[in-house]
Amino acid sequence: MNPTELKLHLHRSVVTVLRQHWLLVLMLAGVILAGTAVALVPPLVLERVINQLTTGQAVLFSLAFAYFIFLALAGILESLQTVLITLIGQKITRQVRQDLCAKIQLLPASYFTQQQAGKTVSLFVNDVEALSALFDNGVLSMAADALKMIGIGAMIFTRSLGLGFLLLAITPLLFALTRHFQKRMLKAQQTHRSAIAQVNNAVPETLRCLRMIRTFNKQNYMEDRYDKHLQTSYQSLEKANFYDSVYSPIIVFSSSAVIAVMMVLASLSGNMQQLFGMSVGSAVAVIAYVGKIFTPLENIGMEIENIQSAVASIERIESFFQQPERILPTQQLDLSAALTQPVLSLSHVTFGYQPEEPVLKDLSFCINSGETVTLIGRTGAGKSTIFRLILGLYAPQQGTVEIAGQPADQLSDSQKRRLFGYVEQTLHPADGTVGDQISLFDAAITDQQIIEAAELVGLAGVIEKLPQGYATPWNPALFSQGQIQLLAIARAIAANPRILLLDEITANLDSGTEALVMEALQKASANRTVLSISHRLYQQNKTGRLITIG
Amino acid sequence: MFRASKVNRRPDRLSTYFLSNSAVLAGIALSGILYNVGLTAGPFFEGQLAQCLIAVMAKEKTVGDMVNLAGLYLAVILLVQASRCLKRFWVRRLANNTARSMRRVLYRNLVYQNPAVLGLDEAGSLMTKAIGDVDACAEGIRKFTTEIFDTGVVMIAYLGMLWYYDARLTLLACLFTPLAYLLAQRLKRPITRSSAAYKNSVSRLNGMALDRVTNALTYRVFGCEAQRDEAYTSQLAQVEKNAVVSSAWENAMQPLYNVIAMTGVLFVLIRGAQNVLGQGWAVWDIAAFTTYLACFSRLALKSSHAAKLFNAVQKARVSWQRIQPQLQPVSVPEAQLDTFTAPASLSVEKLSFAYPHQPPLFSNVSFRAQAGEIIGITGPLACGKSTFGRLFLGEQDYTGRIFINGLDLAEQNNAQLSQLVAYAGHDPQLLSDTIAENITLGEAFDCQPWLTAVALSEEVNALPRGIQTFIGAQGSRLSGGQQARLALARTLARSRPLIILDDPFSAVDPATEAEILQQLRVLAQDRIVFLISHRLTHFPDFDQILWLSQEKVQVSSHEMMLKTNSAYAQLFEKQQRKEVKNDESH
Repeated sequence: MNPTELKLHLHRSVVTVLRQHWLLVLMLAGVILAGTAVALVPPLVLERVINQLTTGQAVLFSLAFAYFIFLALAGILESLQTVLITLIGQKITRQVRQDLCAKIQLLPASYFTQQQAGKTVSLFVNDVEALSALFDNGVLSMAADALKMIGIGAMIFTRSLGLGFLLLAITPLLFALTRHFQKRMLKAQQTHRSAIAQVNNAVPETLRCLRMIRTFNKQNYMEDRYDKHLQTSYQSLEKANFYDSVYSPIIVFSSSAVIAVMMVLASLSGNMQQLFGMSVGSAVAVIAYVGKIFTPLENIGMEIENIQSAVASIERIESFFQQPERILPTQQLDLSAALTQPVLSLSHVTFGYQPEEPVLKDLSFCINSGETVTLIGRTGAGKSTIFRLILGLYAPQQGTVEIAGQPADQLSDSQKRRLFGYVEQTLHPADGTVGDQISLFDAAITDQQIIEAAELVGLAGVIEKLPQGYATPWNPALFSQGQIQLLAIARAIAANPRILLLDEITANLDSGTEALVMEALQKASANRTVLSISHRLYQQNKTGRLITIG
Repeated sequence: MFRASKVNRRPDRLSTYFLSNSAVLAGIALSGILYNVGLTAGPFFEGQLAQCLIAVMAKEKTVGDMVNLAGLYLAVILLVQASRCLKRFWVRRLANNTARSMRRVLYRNLVYQNPAVLGLDEAGSLMTKAIGDVDACAEGIRKFTTEIFDTGVVMIAYLGMLWYYDARLTLLACLFTPLAYLLAQRLKRPITRSSAAYKNSVSRLNGMALDRVTNALTYRVFGCEAQRDEAYTSQLAQVEKNAVVSSAWENAMQPLYNVIAMTGVLFVLIRGAQNVLGQGWAVWDIAAFTTYLACFSRLALKSSHAAKLFNAVQKARVSWQRIQPQLQPVSVPEAQLDTFTAPASLSVEKLSFAYPHQPPLFSNVSFRAQAGEIIGITGPLACGKSTFGRLFLGEQDYTGRIFINGLDLAEQNNAQLSQLVAYAGHDPQLLSDTIAENITLGEAFDCQPWLTAVALSEEVNALPRGIQTFIGAQGSRLSGGQQARLALARTLARSRPLIILDDPFSAVDPATEAEILQQLRVLAQDRIVFLISHRLTHFPDFDQILWLSQEKVQVSSHEMMLKTNSAYAQLFEKQQRKEVKNDESH
């Protein structure tokens, strides 16, 4: 498939949903139309009641009953409308969240090192929430309200031509006023949302730094930092609230002004009588209509505000969708080809996270299948960077990184786990059970494989003693620092990979655990190619080749 | 400032948040009553206007009378809407204040957590709580306060108006309203249940998003991204289902209440018409008729909204119940110690530690240390040497006693402890801020000497923005070794009588390590340093060695240790041999 066809866009997500659920949309349209028509009836009934009363006639039960029934029906249709709108709105947000999630896979590795995770998570949580409000209480409700206004406007024209024109004249004025408020609101809302994102970002950071905060007694300092962001969000929300509070009373007052002017004009005689004259019944009905025509206008005002507050979110979601994408690697490698020589080769590789600041310059080396190789070099020489290139997270600016003759960054992700066992510096715990830490939710890894991996690293006994064994929900307090490291190894070897990549594995281990790790790794290294950047591991093992970097 | 306000006394009580906003509440009460009582003015004047129109048509009144009436009507509406404007703003300020206070309390709870007690798995749920529940709670308070006036007060005002026009008709017409309440009462449980189910599924979904984003590269390297996306997608379906069910329960009932409450309109139209025609319980004109009908309709609408009041309270209560356990008062220790200038002294007496329900990690550790000493701490696998180091941080209880400069550690609060012990663990725990800020942590001093002390100053000064460089989330823009050295600089800048360094050089190459150790000797002349490590390269230079194991605890010099502790000797010689070989191989 052509990748441009897959390009994600917010409006595309929305259109897809509307197309898929056209029946639902149609139903909603029907309900809105029927609801608008039904809601127009009661004032007409009232008009007849008043006109009958002014001529001294009694009111018939049937007339009273009709008034009640139409009121009831209008209410029922209105509720149905709300539920349908929620339904459609939910379908849209679901699709958007799904598309956002699909985008993660397409982002280059550099995105995750440059962007704060909290901000990205905030897209999924806050911004989609705002988008949901945009549909629920925004666009869809606005369409219904606009229709209501048109219906009422038409009715007013039939009762009083003059009043109809009067309303036509002031509506643009009120619209201009609304726009004015929108613009002010938008600015305040945008400041508020970005400040809230900062506020939310502080929580995971604080969690990670708790011990530091405690040992240096920096709780106060951290609270001050937090407060700075909180205060920005507070101030901007106050500003938005001010506009929010002022807008709606202005609209209601305008509606009263229209009624006052109308009544004065209706009581005039002469030419004015032609334009504004009406029966008392009509006057009461029109008062009811005018009261109603400004409710939807007021709603539209609020809905516009909902939409406005979502604009910032839409912009953020859209710019997330616009993030440059990597081309999803599709190259499938025949796993037996992983035995071809050299299995791994770097040729004249130059690479920097910023192209103008290269970390690696013209680096070349080859590794044969079954070899054990240790990369050594001063901190910051780019050893971990070489791993990232081999894992295909980045592509070199010059030269090639090849796995069994294939460019590393073109190998499909799904195959990686069978090819590489990557032991990270620290275990990144996943949101799941202890077993999930090893399998990483990979359905292709059987329970048996999980147990075997745990056994190989010598953790099986520890895990079995846990209250729910492998199904125990993950909690770092369950394991020692060393055991967590062993878990990272179990994760790496669970899928029986061909090549082991060992980051500074001994980093957090004492010598005893290191011995245990060595034992596990020696078992794991059998029939595998091993690339390590831990010089201590080499000191311990003394096997294989050394390559100096930098 | 704000943080020192009353909220901190009982942050776990909802009333606290109202009481600390008493001025705002007074404003809300005043403007709210004025607005809601004033709402009856609309129907009253509109009835009078219609009556006046009849009179003008019958030539009983003039256009001038109409102009006066319309003017009065507008003036009253202006006053009422001005009150409304104030009420709206103050109600929102109340919610905004509450959200801010709650966030502060939540954050304070978080920041004073004991890292040894708090499991990191709470990270996701805590974050969702902080985001979702604070906002939902503040929104609940806003709605609740709004509804008290816009439903409660206004209903009383309308009812009084109706009663004034025709008491008997009012009794008859409002007969149906209690039925709506009864129904609302009965439907309490399914509404609460569906709302809670929805909230929980959203919380789970947000947790999954957090996991998906923070571990994105791990999932990528392990080729698990697609599978995680599927899991997220299926949770999305669950959320959608719960949202629709919850919305249906909340909205489907609304017209039902409305229909029941509006049934009385039949009586109003028929008996009211009889009133106008002079055949009823009261004598009405057209003005009375339209005013009564308008007031009744609004009352019926409001009474069906009484369920809305109830829903708002329900929703707020669900959020409040979830958030309340997190909003505990935090006792901040007030006693402080002065910064120490005198040479340090340390005495550890019969120190033992065991995790709950487990055999002791080590027992009866006793030794003394003088200023200027570096003490190497090592031992076999899982001997608890990191735990030993952390015991001095007061995170966990131990038996035995520790004295620093003659002060019993167990009797010191957290603030005092921080003046006695400086610590650097193997996790650098850096803030997403500048290099300078990560060292000073808000204090005013020069960072350069500390950067030099950890052999980082050249690298930092080579950066375009120097010490003002932002290091990214978790220091991600620095290499592992740079992160470790920055954390070390931060610790050394807070030179305390006891400096504990737990495996600080793991990500640092041996040459840099030797350089830093040399600097440390000079810096810590009148301090005591613990160096916890499994690598014994520099242990011969240290003044004392502590060997920790379940079976044996030993404190002596390196030479004595080699002679009397075979495990230590073995470990040392093994590493020594390798280093020699390593040098030869270069």
